[in-house]
Amino acid sequence: MDRNRRWWIAPSILGLALIIALVWGYNEYTTKNELGVALENHYQRLFFDVKKHVENVQVNLSKAMLSKSRDQNVLLLSQIMNEAYFAQDKLGQMPITHAETAKTEKFLNQVADYSYYLIQTHLQGKPISNEQMASLANLQQNSATFNEELAKLQSELSDRNFLFGSLNARQNKKVQEGNEKVFQTSLTNIEKNMAKTPELIYDGPFADQMINRKPLGLENRSVSKNEAQKIAVEFFGANRVQDVTSFEEGKDSSEIRIPSYTFNLHPKNTSKELAVYMGVSKKGGHVLWMANPRPVPKGNLSIKDAQEKALNYLRQKGFENMEPNYYLRYDGTVLFNFVYKEQNVTIYPDLIKVKVALDNGEIVGFDASAYYLNHHNRKIEEPKITLEEARKEVRTDFDINSSRLALIPKGKNEVLCYEFKGSYKGADYIVYINALTGNEEQILQIIKNENGTLTF
Amino acid sequence: MKRFTITTLILVLVFLSILMFYEPNNVLQEATNRYNAFFAPRILYWGTQGQDVKNVQWQLVKWKYLIGRVDGIYGADTYRAVRRFQAKNGLRVDGVVGPQTAAALGITLTGAAPASAQGINRRGDEYLLARTIHGEARGEPYIGKVAVGAVVLNRVRSPKFPNTVAGVVYQPLAFTAVADGQINLTPDKDSIKAARDALNGWDPTYGCLYYWNPATATSRWIWSRKVTLKIGKHWFGL
Repeated sequence: MDRNRRWWIAPSILGLALIIALVWGYNEYTTKNELGVALENHYQRLFFDVKKHVENVQVNLSKAMLSKSRDQNVLLLSQIMNEAYFAQDKLGQMPITHAETAKTEKFLNQVADYSYYLIQTHLQGKPISNEQMASLANLQQNSATFNEELAKLQSELSDRNFLFGSLNARQNKKVQEGNEKVFQTSLTNIEKNMAKTPELIYDGPFADQMINRKPLGLENRSVSKNEAQKIAVEFFGANRVQDVTSFEEGKDSSEIRIPSYTFNLHPKNTSKELAVYMGVSKKGGHVLWMANPRPVPKGNLSIKDAQEKALNYLRQKGFENMEPNYYLRYDGTVLFNFVYKEQNVTIYPDLIKVKVALDNGEIVGFDASAYYLNHHNRKIEEPKITLEEARKEVRTDFDINSSRLALIPKGKNEVLCYEFKGSYKGADYIVYINALTGNEEQILQIIKNENGTLTF
Repeated sequence: MKRFTITTLILVLVFLSILMFYEPNNVLQEATNRYNAFFAPRILYWGTQGQDVKNVQWQLVKWKYLIGRVDGIYGADTYRAVRRFQAKNGLRVDGVVGPQTAAALGITLTGAAPASAQGINRRGDEYLLARTIHGEARGEPYIGKVAVGAVVLNRVRSPKFPNTVAGVVYQPLAFTAVADGQINLTPDKDSIKAARDALNGWDPTYGCLYYWNPATATSRWIWSRKVTLKIGKHWFGL
């Protein structure tokens, strides 16, 4: 009797469980679809936007070539810059591998960068040279082919009702393969075309000349690995090193910015995991950087004492005339920026960073790669305007605390400037006035807090 | 016997449904705590002075924890009042006004930045970079972590890649740790330190733009890169 009455319990519970599972599954399914559609819409928008932005670049480039008015040209170029950056930014958000877009992104970035450079040329009152005209024509031609390919892709994708989501989703295999092929062929075409862009000669952060810059501060003498290892051990202190290993190098190790040997030093009396890392240049055999990531407990060394230790360290390593500039305190250490000083001119490109542990004053970090990249025998020009004349180029209500001569980097060149530090409406800034022409070259905003200073 | 089966079945079902909807609250809490510990704007303690201290004192006086002057100096009276406030409100009683105590007081701690400089900092990039490093290079030697951070920053400077840290990190198909959500883990102390070193200019890769783990790399294209240096398990390249 008992058994008969309860026969339905198990099936109904299982049935209930099934219903719960079905409801849950359906919910998941709809959520997944909604997310998929939202993502797809986003991708579609990006694609259509890229097309539009590239179109605008193309049109404005042709206009800029035609326009004879300088003002009009500046306006057009600033639009080109904007549109190219937009296109690049959106292209970088699409679900395409980097291998398929690298050259296109580079092209767009350089179009923007080059436009910015030309705007500067215009504002300095220089005419556009024939070579620059030729470059513009070239960029126009390239963006035109790019745009044409995009137009083709657009119509083809619309025709096939292509979904970007299918590029990484598990969809109907055949449809997906077909679509992917169209898409990939198109991208490959664009990339191939972009590869043909001749190198643009100009000065800007994305210029090839800037990226492929060779170090100026290294002697031509080559150093063997053994010698380099000896240099590294000496640099850290031979009596403190237990053993040294070097990092494995690849076949193209000479193509990096400053070809170097990299070492792993194990200091005595420390655990196996804690190592000191060091890079020694193959040319000249200089220690480029050192990092000692040992944990630093809270210490009570003052910033001033730490700075003294850092200065001593630099002197001991053979760097004279280094001047401390800013510091930044973090993780129990303090990082100092030292710059080279010559004939009373602060030379910002020759920068060395030294990190001091605040527990015992040990130097736990050193980075001179910027110094060796830029340092060379300079012929510093005499300023053509006086400090007073330069002061007139700065807003009168800028409250100046200090002023001096400084050499600052500008693209791949260096310009001699009067540096005015001060505050304006409560915030701190540095204003640089060209000491030869009186132009305002740069303004930096300084953010100070209890841990140090950052420039923006 | 049957009853036993049924009860077990029900229990299992209930347990499963709880698991499905259970979201560990403390994970989030811990993440914020750690973020605050490493990136928090400012902490007030004995000896601190300024407007922030005044705000704290003002609030304490209003709520009758502090009887005295609002003078902007964090002295013994303020210290004791803060401790009383913390004890009453279930906070850690340490006499220090950190982000949590400040929040309980209804105050946001800021440096005394002028309007034009407010909110300008590097913390966002620092944290994002630390998370990327944590997701991509956990278990690598320290210098391998700095190297991963440096590659991200080299990409920001390269024309071939997006021009912001977030743009590079979240570029689709670029980092596996981003695709599988590991980037959202709370970074450990080493990753944060490595991120800061990378942002401060240390670059053990000498300008490399790529890295891959030969054991797990799936793209054949990556092997066509110029191979330069091996750090830990990663090969770096241009």
